Amino acid sequence: MSKNKSNSILGMAFFGPALVLLTVFLFIPMVLTVIYSFTDYFALSPKNTHFVGFRNFVKIFGDELFVQSFLNTVKFVVIIVPLQCLGALGLALLINKVTYCKKYFKVAFFVPVVMSLAVVSTLWMQIYSPEGIINTILANLGIEAQPFIHSADQALPSIAVMSVWQGMGYQMIIFLGGLQAINPALYEAAEMDHASAWQKFRDITLPELKPLCVFVFITVTIGAFRMIVQPMVMTGGGPSNSTYTIVYDIYETGTVNWEIGLASAMAVVFVIFVIVLTVIQNILTKDKEEKK
Amino acid sequence: MDMKKHIKAAALASASALAAALLLAGCGKTVSPGDKAGYDEGEEYLSIWVHIIEDTPEGRSYRKSVDSFNEKYDGKYFADIEFIPRNDSGGGYSDKVNASVLSGDLPDVLTVDGPNIAAYAANGIIQPLAELTKEERSVYLESIIEQGTFNEKLYALGAMESSVGLYYNKAILREAGVEVPQAGDPWMFTEFLDVLEKVRPAAESKNGYPLDMTFPVGEATIYYYAPFIWSNGGDLVSGDGLTVSGIFNSERNAGTMNYFRGLVDKKYMSAVPIENLFESGRAAFKFDGAWEVNTIYTSYPDIELGVAPYVVGDNWDGGRYTPTGSWAYAASSVTENIEGATELVKWMSGVESGLDLYGQTKSLPSTYAAYEQISDFTEDENYKALYEQLRDYGHPRPKTPAYPQLSASFQQALENIAISGMDADTELKKSTERINDKLDRYTRE
Repeated sequence: MSKNKSNSILGMAFFGPALVLLTVFLFIPMVLTVIYSFTDYFALSPKNTHFVGFRNFVKIFGDELFVQSFLNTVKFVVIIVPLQCLGALGLALLINKVTYCKKYFKVAFFVPVVMSLAVVSTLWMQIYSPEGIINTILANLGIEAQPFIHSADQALPSIAVMSVWQGMGYQMIIFLGGLQAINPALYEAAEMDHASAWQKFRDITLPELKPLCVFVFITVTIGAFRMIVQPMVMTGGGPSNSTYTIVYDIYETGTVNWEIGLASAMAVVFVIFVIVLTVIQNILTKDKEEKK
Repeated sequence: MDMKKHIKAAALASASALAAALLLAGCGKTVSPGDKAGYDEGEEYLSIWVHIIEDTPEGRSYRKSVDSFNEKYDGKYFADIEFIPRNDSGGGYSDKVNASVLSGDLPDVLTVDGPNIAAYAANGIIQPLAELTKEERSVYLESIIEQGTFNEKLYALGAMESSVGLYYNKAILREAGVEVPQAGDPWMFTEFLDVLEKVRPAAESKNGYPLDMTFPVGEATIYYYAPFIWSNGGDLVSGDGLTVSGIFNSERNAGTMNYFRGLVDKKYMSAVPIENLFESGRAAFKFDGAWEVNTIYTSYPDIELGVAPYVVGDNWDGGRYTPTGSWAYAASSVTENIEGATELVKWMSGVESGLDLYGQTKSLPSTYAAYEQISDFTEDENYKALYEQLRDYGHPRPKTPAYPQLSASFQQALENIAISGMDADTELKKSTERINDKLDRYTRE
């Protein structure tokens, strides 16, 4: 009894500092954001803050730029999520098969994850530049030079592809761990039944990886929604706002234009949207599992 | 055994609790004489914030200026400098200023970027400086006084100025047989198109363009290209800085924007940025900051560099129009010692500070006397041209509390019209609404 109590005090002692820090730097700001979203808080004159009800929210949905940044973000998600999830799975399967230099490939594909996003973005600006490596290769193949990040049509997909390349290694490692945890006896049994490679993949590998797939799917989706560094470094949200994302808009509104109230409302809308989407994803993926 | 383990664990836990407490500890401080080396009894304490870390050439120069201020005013004032780093995206320093507006912890003197002076003044973060004598004012370039003035009151003085040059490649112009006009007699819009046409064969033979020009996101676009608006008889904002209706979206401005579009359509410039086009000798002209001279001299010595007068509109009236502006010092609204704060601002922006800053960072100074003492500006024709342009034609960026939005809107409008070929009137109208929306809070009271 008393041991339990002392354990609980000890637990609190370990847990307390983290709780205090999280409260101050995470929970309180979260609550404040919700409160500010109903005010006209302006960073340069905080004393003139008034409660404005839902005015910020009405304004956001009438704001052409916010709507565009919202659509851009959705486009990013739609390109990035399938590419990154399937790419990571593909790489994991390949590496799992490779017997030569396995470590080398693992490290090589993981390195971009470790690099700073700003560095990777700067690097890819060179790769995508009008006289960069891709355009040089295209020229040798007789293909006209492409503007990539300098055109309103190509900038968003170009940045999305770069992001996939940068982030894929992390999910690859997760899948690799999952693959190695599959009981080899299952494959042996399948081989005795003369199962083809595709059948083994479909009926053993995929079902075994399912919980991981759900995890990867949801985390990649949330990560893609938070896109800001790549367009900030590579295009500044341009050309013609084609790569301007929600988080970028929140940042610009709050810190550059000092409109904390409006930016808070944007953040609240964004969070609600992501929560709803995650819940839907959860329901959809759960359903499938139950059917099985 | 078990007990020992627990003690060890508890010690660890309390250590981490202590770390957390330290992290959270704020800094409510009042400084009294003796607390700081050099702060003596009887001296008035002045705090000053600058936007850069100390361990940089610029930071060390600020430290030096503050030290010499304390030496000069020993027994009267003591200035205490704090270095607050500013990150690339502009945060850090301005976040601290914003937070201090709320908590009331602003220093006596702080640095403000030129275009933000209007917003800081309109929101009561800074206050007008104590009256300067006519003689004291005459020390500074007119552009610095102009930049620091909002609603006819002087709020800020800077030690640094800046300028943008229309650089040209002498070899290409010689090949094309183009003569560069004298200062004061710049090429007008239509003349400049003829010049671009003349240099086109020479530039294209080098796989380049007549102009190395881009409209990047960020501050550069309005800084480099607003002069085209001003010299063409247009403006961007009203005199009080509170409306842009009919000004930003004027017919004249639409004409100026379409001039840029012509440059792209006629392929005088590349629609996509090509790196180092001018520096690699493949472009005849480039608009860039004064730093470009140093870059060319040190990294591209093969380029024969010249500075031409900044291009003007066809009906230019001879008024001021060329790019200027940089960080400046201002007195915060909370200082109770405006006399002392003004002395500090004058000292920090004075001739000696400007000379030292030029030596450390090559930032253009803000006082006539400093230019006279730097041989670059009396002997080197390119530096001299940049200085004379700044002195005779420097025009501050638009003065409005909604400057960040105006700057962003200008870039977007220019990019949309010139590069993406959108309709000028529609784009300018959209921008006007957006900027006015940000000005709403200043006009509704």
